Amino acid sequence: MTKYILRRILMMIPVMLGVTLLVFFIISLTPGDAASMILGQEATEESIAELREEMGLNDPTIVQYVRYMGDLFQGDMGNSYATGKTVNSEIAQRFPNTFVLTVSAIFLSVLISIPIGVVSATRQYSIFDNVGMIIALVGISMPSFWTGLLLIIAFSLKLGWFPSGGMEGFISLILPAFTLAIASTASITRTTRSSMLEVIRQDYINTAKAKGVTRNVVIRKHALKNALIPAITVIGLEFGILLGGAVLTETVFSWPGIGRLMVESIQRKDTPMVLGSVIVFALAFSVVNLIIDILYAFIDPRIKSNYS
Amino acid sequence: MLKRILSLMLVLMLVLGALSGCASTPAAEEPAAEEPAAEEPAAEEPAPVKDTIVVALSADITSLDPMGHNDTKSEKVSFLVFNRLFRLNTDFEVVPDLAESWEQPTPEEWVIKIKEGVKFHDGSDLTADDVVYSLLRSKEMPKVQQVLSEVASVEKVDEYTVKVTTNTPFAPFLYTLVHAGTSIVPENAAPAGEEISDPVGSGPYTFKDWQSGDKVTLEKFDAYFDADNMGQTQNIVFRIIPEGTSRTIALETGEVDVVDELETIDIAKVEENPDLALLTKPSTKLDFFAMNSEKEPFGNELIRQAFNYAIDKEAVMEVAINGAGVIAESIMAPSFLGYTPGPYSYDPEKAKELLAAAGYGDGLDIVIWASGDERKRIAEVIQAYLLDVGVTSSIEMFEWGTYIDRILAGEAQTFVLAWTSNPDPDATLTPHYFSGNIGGMNFSRTNDPAIDDMLKVAREELDLAKRKALYEEFHTYVMEKAPIVPLFVKSNVSGANAGLKGVELSPQGLWNIEKIHY
Repeated sequence: MTKYILRRILMMIPVMLGVTLLVFFIISLTPGDAASMILGQEATEESIAELREEMGLNDPTIVQYVRYMGDLFQGDMGNSYATGKTVNSEIAQRFPNTFVLTVSAIFLSVLISIPIGVVSATRQYSIFDNVGMIIALVGISMPSFWTGLLLIIAFSLKLGWFPSGGMEGFISLILPAFTLAIASTASITRTTRSSMLEVIRQDYINTAKAKGVTRNVVIRKHALKNALIPAITVIGLEFGILLGGAVLTETVFSWPGIGRLMVESIQRKDTPMVLGSVIVFALAFSVVNLIIDILYAFIDPRIKSNYS
Repeated sequence: MLKRILSLMLVLMLVLGALSGCASTPAAEEPAAEEPAAEEPAAEEPAPVKDTIVVALSADITSLDPMGHNDTKSEKVSFLVFNRLFRLNTDFEVVPDLAESWEQPTPEEWVIKIKEGVKFHDGSDLTADDVVYSLLRSKEMPKVQQVLSEVASVEKVDEYTVKVTTNTPFAPFLYTLVHAGTSIVPENAAPAGEEISDPVGSGPYTFKDWQSGDKVTLEKFDAYFDADNMGQTQNIVFRIIPEGTSRTIALETGEVDVVDELETIDIAKVEENPDLALLTKPSTKLDFFAMNSEKEPFGNELIRQAFNYAIDKEAVMEVAINGAGVIAESIMAPSFLGYTPGPYSYDPEKAKELLAAAGYGDGLDIVIWASGDERKRIAEVIQAYLLDVGVTSSIEMFEWGTYIDRILAGEAQTFVLAWTSNPDPDATLTPHYFSGNIGGMNFSRTNDPAIDDMLKVAREELDLAKRKALYEEFHTYVMEKAPIVPLFVKSNVSGANAGLKGVELSPQGLWNIEKIHY
């Protein structure tokens, strides 16, 4: 098991290399010049040329990339072109905010979607199932900036229960987390339902029922655990989608997260900041997937026995 | 097993919740004051006045160092934390800030005496040494080095007097000293080439805290030297709310007191709300339709004049910015020195006559370039009006970086663009109309020796009244040549709580924020 985890961690290195390489070259292909971006519209040609030389922007892209990676391995992601602050400090300030938001959203959606999925499956084609699936369809179809605005209008403007934005303690987390949770709730519900449907048709479920085990216990102990494996895969994927999707939610709710930082940096062509945020996103996504894979082992002993 | 996972997540959730709660506890106390003050039964004293003003900004500041940025958001913070030698009032006139008096022994020399007894936030005195250090530092810092590019040297004369020498006689000099990049910082505030991260200024507010992407908190400086411009509220918080609708909602719920940039579609909503006040003032941003005089047939001024008559600017403005502005009648916004409106009005018959006189009575075919949604809508309205006078046009869209590069290279025939000006007219007119700037910001590629001469004379004329007359003459002459069709000047639109006092707008947006209070 330990060996497996180590191997998976090592496999993250080529993934991260690929991500940085790709992003670095895509940014270098976009029009605009970082030096004139820093100096502004009114800067003289000479000062721009001087800064270009100083920043090494005249070197071939591959040389710039190697230099960047050299610094990165020493833990230095450079300084933002726009603010002059170190990328490390900016990300350290912003990433935890996005992380809190995303984890809360995932938690909320698991809390909502697993029970709905299970009940929908066990009472297939009942009213509950139909209503649940329609809600799931609506949830997955609503763009999060729109959901967010609806929630703001209802719960902060009309009812005044929650702040409309910003980050002032736990209460301001609720609306953005809920907004973010809605879309992933839909897909987790649907996955839980379909895998549950498959499991409850298996022979061992019939066996358990024949033994006289109560319906409740059959569902909880025998069926759910097996049905959860696909659901957990989806939860892992959703986590990645939520990290990326947090951009819109963060904008609507003025949540100072890393998604907004990344979009602003792209607009400003702030290469070090864009790279830094993408690396953190990729890293977070890889780590979450690793955790999910380890979780499989705990849920399904057959997978565990494959490792050892 | 499932139980274990769920309980693990629950614990995680609680920890995260606690963390996010802890992180913002100190600030969380402030919004508690947001309940209407009137509910408190005020028996003995007048009702407690809210002591924190929250101002919504559409984007985060980029630097706390007044010389580390060149944007209007960061400027708002710098203006409160620092002083400059001069400042602008809401009518764009230069008035002294730290300066006590000034004189010009020769056209290139400016001797400026600064006020005595001014203290920095750390209690130290502000002297000529700080001024010399700051102005020289301003010339070194990349983001603002162009502001004082005309300055040749800065010397200390005595403890409270400095002498600045310019390269040539330079009339806009005092205007350059109102820029945030010429703020006075304490001597040796930061090692050479590095930015100030913990700003100590002499302004009406002291810096408390900056949460990246979230808010900037300032606190009133009680020992401020200027009683007339003293801070009026204990705390000012700038909250960053990037989404326009969210800014308006935050104003409606009372979470913010002032919105710097109100979306034009929300104007009616704020106007109808008795608890809110709407403020508007024409900005310094001019949207225009430019004609490249090097591309035929726009070398002919009759055609350019015809276009000035052919386009209904009201209609363009309505479509582009929901009518939240004033139509433009000259090459600059009305707030500038020497502004003189041109001779044109919407007159399609006159346009047809001029086109016929230029030999295009049977029609003309042109290409209009645009980039971005707003400019596209503008181009479409122009296209429709041009068709009425027999000019057919096609619109070509570009990505912004490519667009601006190719316009500067002179490849466009006609295009839609906007320009936000610095307060001195020279800072716009020389880049736009001086022949030496073809290939630069001379968008219409105007090459006219008479214009070049007029610009040079006006730039060097130190007498304000004479300079004003020179620019009036310039406006009249340039509009006759019609290098562009000025379209409209967008208004700065702000929303505020109706109970607030002292909210002022200048052509550059929210102004004198230190005066805002309940």
